[in-house]
Amino acid sequence: MIRTLLRIKWLSLKRDYAALGLTFAVPVAFFTVFAGLFGGLPTGDGDGQDRQRPLKIVVVDEDRSEGSRRFVAALTRQSAVEVSTGPGLGEQEPGAPEPPPDSYSRDDARRLVRGGRFAAAVAIPSGWGGSFGSLSPDRPAIDVVYDAANPMARHSVSGLVQVAAMEALPDLFMKGGFRLMDQTDSGLTPEQRRTVDELIAKVRSQLDEIRRKDAAGAEASGGSPAREEQEGFRGMVRVDASPARAEEGETRAKKTGSLVSYYAAGLGVMFLLFSVVGAGGAFLEEESRGTLERMLAGNVGMPTILLGNWLFTALVGFAQVSLMFVWGAVLFRIDLWSVQHLTGFAVMTVATASAAAGFGLVLAACCRSQAQLNGFATILVMVMSALGGSMVPRFVMPSFLDTTAKFTFNGWALDGYLKVFWYDDPNATLLESVADLLPQLGALAASTVVFLLVARLLARRWEVV
Amino acid sequence: MTAVLSVTDAVKCFGATRALDGASFVLRPGEWLGLLGPNGAGKTTLVRAVSGRVRLDRGRIDLFGQPLDGPGKDPRRRLGIVPQEIALYPALTARENLAAFAALCRVPGGEIRDRVAWALDWTGLGDRADEPIKRFSGGMKRRLNIACGVLHRPEVVLLDEPTVGVDPQSRQRIWEMLEKLRADGASLLLATHQLDEAERVCERIVIIDHGRMIAGGTFAELVARTVGNKRWVVFAVDRQPPGASLPDGLAIAPDGTLRAAVEDVAGELSRLLSALHAAGVGVVDVRIETPSLQAVFLHLTGRELRE
Repeated sequence: MIRTLLRIKWLSLKRDYAALGLTFAVPVAFFTVFAGLFGGLPTGDGDGQDRQRPLKIVVVDEDRSEGSRRFVAALTRQSAVEVSTGPGLGEQEPGAPEPPPDSYSRDDARRLVRGGRFAAAVAIPSGWGGSFGSLSPDRPAIDVVYDAANPMARHSVSGLVQVAAMEALPDLFMKGGFRLMDQTDSGLTPEQRRTVDELIAKVRSQLDEIRRKDAAGAEASGGSPAREEQEGFRGMVRVDASPARAEEGETRAKKTGSLVSYYAAGLGVMFLLFSVVGAGGAFLEEESRGTLERMLAGNVGMPTILLGNWLFTALVGFAQVSLMFVWGAVLFRIDLWSVQHLTGFAVMTVATASAAAGFGLVLAACCRSQAQLNGFATILVMVMSALGGSMVPRFVMPSFLDTTAKFTFNGWALDGYLKVFWYDDPNATLLESVADLLPQLGALAASTVVFLLVARLLARRWEVV
Repeated sequence: MTAVLSVTDAVKCFGATRALDGASFVLRPGEWLGLLGPNGAGKTTLVRAVSGRVRLDRGRIDLFGQPLDGPGKDPRRRLGIVPQEIALYPALTARENLAAFAALCRVPGGEIRDRVAWALDWTGLGDRADEPIKRFSGGMKRRLNIACGVLHRPEVVLLDEPTVGVDPQSRQRIWEMLEKLRADGASLLLATHQLDEAERVCERIVIIDHGRMIAGGTFAELVARTVGNKRWVVFAVDRQPPGASLPDGLAIAPDGTLRAAVEDVAGELSRLLSALHAAGVGVVDVRIETPSLQAVFLHLTGRELRE
């Protein structure tokens, strides 16, 4: 008996190619995507790390000293960051007396981080190079301005600042230490001072040698220069870290609300996808129940049926996301009730729900049964949610996955919501805020049109045969 | 008489399968026409073609004298379709289902309320009008299913197995409902396997097999053309003396019955009874079998299974 049952099950699976794919091929694809997300794809030499996406940071050098220039150069050499000092500028030229005219100012840097273009900004204040090596609590501190949505940015950049400083300026650090000794009661004897000067010169000479070797090694390998970890010096540079929005008078509660809005957007879009899968299932149920056939035989055209289903699903989706955000506003203080946020939310939700409803119709039209839809769509939605940033923030993804996300409509939707609630510019007018959403709205509108056209084509199978 | 529906030389192939192979029939105004055929004969394809859901490879279908796929106002608006399956929304109440299908059938908004009230009265579901139909019995759903197909007062109604799976009481109620439609002048095309019902209610019958019409006409015409007008007289006997000589070469079957075909029941029955009595055969019961549509159907389509 068991053998017969097993045979029936196997034959049923074997003859349903979609179910076969769902059982074997899709899990492999799913695994591949998630392995890529968390570990990076293997490279030719077996090292997956070089595909990791560097943090984009902006550096403002207000000091313009030799020390600050060496520090910026060292920071730029870190492979974990991609440094910009101005529009179209990379690393500034060491030794340049004046900043290029289009270098970023400290305000520019903060605005750029707040707008989501950079993960963090590093500002070197005037007098920083001159006081390097001092342990005085009043010594100028490097400011790290970070995007609070990216919790890795703050600590990574702060740590890299320490590394770069120790790499670039060990001589200055020693000099500062000996200056400190010199300030003690007896100071250094002339002989001690001579020895110290020789030691400092030797350190500088060794540093130059290391850099020459690094440069030669980098040229030979075609990669970034090797670096030596100098653990002993870590933490000696004073760093003040602050979120990009902290100086705009935002309260802690509001910041907390913004963080919740980040997750509300991610989860809202993901659950919207799940709900349109359910709507697609209801459409297939119409087919199996016979009501679809009855409507078609009763002279109700397929375009009408599709549009009716699309509209209903979009409305339900709009209501679903709205409910989630209103709930978030009431319970978690999401800043929904300003005119800019409410308008941005409304246009984004209309566009997102429209695209999602079209996506649901496509799924329904290309699946032959509820079982197919449930299996296929659940996995597809999870992969799309992962790629779009609903599960894992996109800034931690390898760059190739971030690029792939541009081909998912939910990724665009999430970008739009983040623009409304996270990367909003408090000084922008209502029109400017909406105009800022045009790329996302355009992508979602185009997706909606494409989905509806594809659904219409696929739905021909239900029409006259 | 002008046909309200005519199907002429309909051909439809699905791959290598020829579902319709030149089927033809006409439905006249106010007529009830039974469409019979074994499984796979092409009935469903024919009904779907008439409802516009299957495009013929060859042949034509005219509704009210107008080609089904021709230019101008779609004549299918005057057609009512009652599918075999219960194509209703189970979560909706009877009233909501009726209102929904009235709107889908393009009943003008101002008339929907009246048509729903008419349908609830017609089906006898007025007292359950506001219950979700998932709680209804099979017969109640079947009645509602029919009502949803005729809310727009169609002049021609296609009924696909309208009484399948319901109890005798519900079946009786459904035929009473349909009689009211007949009284209002509707023409009905009834696709069914319920041969006794088709024989009883249909004025004409069309039998199709292998995609072709193999017979058509009134029941009496079909009988005359197939099994003939002879009646079977069936005698139940309780004894037969050994060596008894039976009249007309008759023989007693193992189940204790004796069957004789007669042209004139009144004239021949007494003669047979006398002959059996004279032969010493004890007759305990007599039954006269008239020709049935089932006999005609089996005569035309054979007895082998169609699956």
